[in-house]
Amino acid sequence: MSWITRLRGMLRRERLDQDLDEELRAHLEMRAADNLAAGMSPGQARHEAQKRFGNTTLLKEDTREVDIIGWLDEVARDFRHALRMLLRNPGFTVVAVLTLALGIGANTAIFSIINSVLLHPLPYHDPDNLVMVWESNSQHPKLHNTVSPPNFLDWQSGNTVFSTMAFVFDERDNLTGNGEPQEVVVQDVSANFFSLLGVDPIIGPGFTPENGQPGHANVVILSYGLWKERFASDPAIVGKSILLNGHPQTVVGVAPQNFQWFIKDGSLTGAKPQMWSPFVFPQSFHDHKQIGRFITVVARLHPGTTHSQAQTQMNAIASRLEQEYPDFDGHWGVNVVPLRQQISGDLRPALLVLFGAVALVLLIACANVSSLLLARAASREREMAIRTAIGASRWRIARQLLMESLLLALIGGGIGVALAVWGTNALLAASPRNLLDLRFVSMDLFVLAFALAATLLAGLLFGFLPSYISAHSRISETLKEGGRGSSSANRRAFARNAFVVAQLGLALVLLTGSGLLIRSFVRLIGVDPGFDTGHLLTFKIALPRSKYGTDPRCLAFFQQLLARISAVPGVRSASMESFPPLTGLGAATGVHLLSQPSLALSDLPVADVGVVGPDYFATMSIPLHAGRLFNTQELAQEKHVTIINQAFADKYLHGVNPLGQKAAIYMKSFAENEIQPSEIIGVVGDVHQIGLDTSPEPTVYWPHPELVMSGMTILVRTSNDPFAMVSAVRKELQQMDPELPMAAVATMDQLLADSLSRSRFTMLLLGIFAAVALVLSAVGIYGLIAYSVTQRTQELGIRIALGAQRRDVLRLVLGQGTRLTLLGVTVGVLAALGFARLLSTLLFGVSATDPITFAGVAALLGFVALAACYIPARRATRVDPIVALRYE
Amino acid sequence: MLKPKNDLLQGTLVLLVLKTLARGPLHGYGMTLHIQMVSKDILRVEEGSLYPALHRMEQDGWVGAEWGISENNRRARYYRLTAKGRKQLAEEEKNWDRLTQAVAHVLQFA
Repeated sequence: MSWITRLRGMLRRERLDQDLDEELRAHLEMRAADNLAAGMSPGQARHEAQKRFGNTTLLKEDTREVDIIGWLDEVARDFRHALRMLLRNPGFTVVAVLTLALGIGANTAIFSIINSVLLHPLPYHDPDNLVMVWESNSQHPKLHNTVSPPNFLDWQSGNTVFSTMAFVFDERDNLTGNGEPQEVVVQDVSANFFSLLGVDPIIGPGFTPENGQPGHANVVILSYGLWKERFASDPAIVGKSILLNGHPQTVVGVAPQNFQWFIKDGSLTGAKPQMWSPFVFPQSFHDHKQIGRFITVVARLHPGTTHSQAQTQMNAIASRLEQEYPDFDGHWGVNVVPLRQQISGDLRPALLVLFGAVALVLLIACANVSSLLLARAASREREMAIRTAIGASRWRIARQLLMESLLLALIGGGIGVALAVWGTNALLAASPRNLLDLRFVSMDLFVLAFALAATLLAGLLFGFLPSYISAHSRISETLKEGGRGSSSANRRAFARNAFVVAQLGLALVLLTGSGLLIRSFVRLIGVDPGFDTGHLLTFKIALPRSKYGTDPRCLAFFQQLLARISAVPGVRSASMESFPPLTGLGAATGVHLLSQPSLALSDLPVADVGVVGPDYFATMSIPLHAGRLFNTQELAQEKHVTIINQAFADKYLHGVNPLGQKAAIYMKSFAENEIQPSEIIGVVGDVHQIGLDTSPEPTVYWPHPELVMSGMTILVRTSNDPFAMVSAVRKELQQMDPELPMAAVATMDQLLADSLSRSRFTMLLLGIFAAVALVLSAVGIYGLIAYSVTQRTQELGIRIALGAQRRDVLRLVLGQGTRLTLLGVTVGVLAALGFARLLSTLLFGVSATDPITFAGVAALLGFVALAACYIPARRATRVDPIVALRYE
Repeated sequence: MLKPKNDLLQGTLVLLVLKTLARGPLHGYGMTLHIQMVSKDILRVEEGSLYPALHRMEQDGWVGAEWGISENNRRARYYRLTAKGRKQLAEEEKNWDRLTQAVAHVLQFA
């Protein structure tokens, strides 16, 4: 094929140019040599040879053109023809293009998110070798538990698989001086943290190994955002001193704009960092008895070391530690998780399900357009037959039709990408905070390449069958029969029926998925959180230890603050909790009920510990099930009392009356003789601590004096809009301490909505895709029945003329639709049974084979499909026999 | 599959080249010499037309080309007739005969 040579010519243009130059030069030289031999002078010989050549550049251009023009010419001819054919049928073209734009646009939008979240390179050096190292307890479901510092030290010295290991833990600190006091999230890190990640500050030297030595850690690196907002991008910031919790710290760097480190599973604040500071383990951190699990560990694998090799060695180290410290490390193992998996872990299943869903939508769109093309091909059969008769090859005709398909796909794809850009922005606007990292989602070349590939693939997919059938139709038959009843017409009818069945089946799969998610969501929001979320304002206060060093001062401050806030008009009551529900992590520890046999610390029942202020249960509307609440004395002084929740009583006391029991709560120390047991004085209702989809954990509540904490979340129950109270509350706070910021101000309703955001987001998107699929498949079956009614006008006319009633005609036409619908629904149900299992991680309280959902969506799809058939069926009953018989 | 050019000279050039190559592989310069010599200096092939024509014929698969060494030890691009080109030559010769006969008729009856 000559066009292949020409295509190659285009690709190897440079080579060809050189070849041509050399060819012409050889010619010139030979002529000059002959001229010389004929007796001309050397100069004359060359000149004459050159002259005969005339304009060399023009010659070269003429020759070169031959190599590529011919090929382009043919493509251009096909292209122009295709464009004309599409313009001649604007109705068909608009429907097909919009259908494709929807399909390709949805794919591109979801892919752009996948690209950003799952495929985009992480902003660290060689990120594939970075892993998170967690502890995990075989007796608890949590796979990513934070790490104890002494274990970290043992891992560090005992392993040979990591080149470096670093730790991080975050806290909220008060940044004062230069302007309003501000609470900032600070990550305390090992001095090698940045060098491990391979990230250099954009200005400043960053941390040096020396900063890991005691006495040299008073330095900080600022996040780009904090540097810009708080310090107005001061280029001379490095070397300046800032006040953190009242202590001076020297700025040694500003992190790059795209740098961040936020691992939700290990974050104590639940917020992204604004500053980093080196942390040196004090002596107590080396002792397993003195310190709990709270640091997050990141490590870099030695080049060539695999994740599973690292896991194997860490398992060995963990079991050694288990033997060495049975009290502390019993049942504790190590879990090595690749960083990429860690970061995308939450969203991955939802995104993959959505990607599968949009792929199905595109398939339905392709089936629809293919079906349209088949219908159109039937009416163009004469055109094709004539072209074949006058000598066009099958390949030529197929190519022409494929060109039309590709053109359709390209226009659809172009509009689709525009839709995707708009849609992605809409998605991001609708997507909740914390769910997607906005900065990362962008339309890059990779996404555009994906869109182009999807477009071309779609074009070939929906264009192949129609052009194949047309190219293989028998001319003689076609010309004789006028295109009806020929073998290609039969093949087309079969293909269109198959497409409609496939569309209905695919739509049913999507509808089932969406139905299951909707039912899950309804179940989820039907869950009682265990407290009243309405009109509840929350914010965090962290007292700097430098100023409020002693327990009594902290205690007094919070008591006074709550009293002041409670007195504000519009406030019904105010209280506080160390880790209130839906706000992030909690603290958990072992609890020894003295009525039960003594066990090793790591074998004890585990409970969340909540430290609460006065009126906590009343403010939250958590009901009292038995016993009594804390009294005024217990809220003012350490009286060794505790209140447990129902889950604790059910799980650990098995019907024994909890009231009056003594419980040793291993919170302040891990040494038994240092613990003063608390008496259980009451049982309260359960609260969903993490989210509605997570069952309540056994919990023990302590009044604040039992464990004085300097960071607490204030809870304010208001009569009206909680946000309207913020300024009044802030005024009270500032009167007590003008340097204290209010952090993480939110309403409980907001926090609840945020915790549901992933479910809502997935449900919403899948719902939209399912609706699109439903509409497309309805259009598909409508088009097929309408077309077949048109084709059968003559037959219907004869039937009516022979006395067929309206009912008979209706039954005849609807019968065809019903058969296809039933077949499609059956195929769809079978496919959905397979696919729904992929959804199971996203479901809550609903089985993946929930019969109600399946029956409901099957009924919905059946109804819509039959309704779509009814329109052409009614038209069939109005066929005028006289007109119909004259139809040919 | 280029549009056939209807100007006579184009067609003639193709015929002359094909005929020349029927004797054996030759480079472009050799063809100009050969045609000039055989036609007793009446036909002179313009380089400006020859090379585009050669390349077009190569694209159409009538001639093949490879690099070789000329009689006086120069690297030159040698063209040879392909099977398809041979068929084309027969076709062109037939056309030429028809054309010349037609012209002869016109001249006789004019």
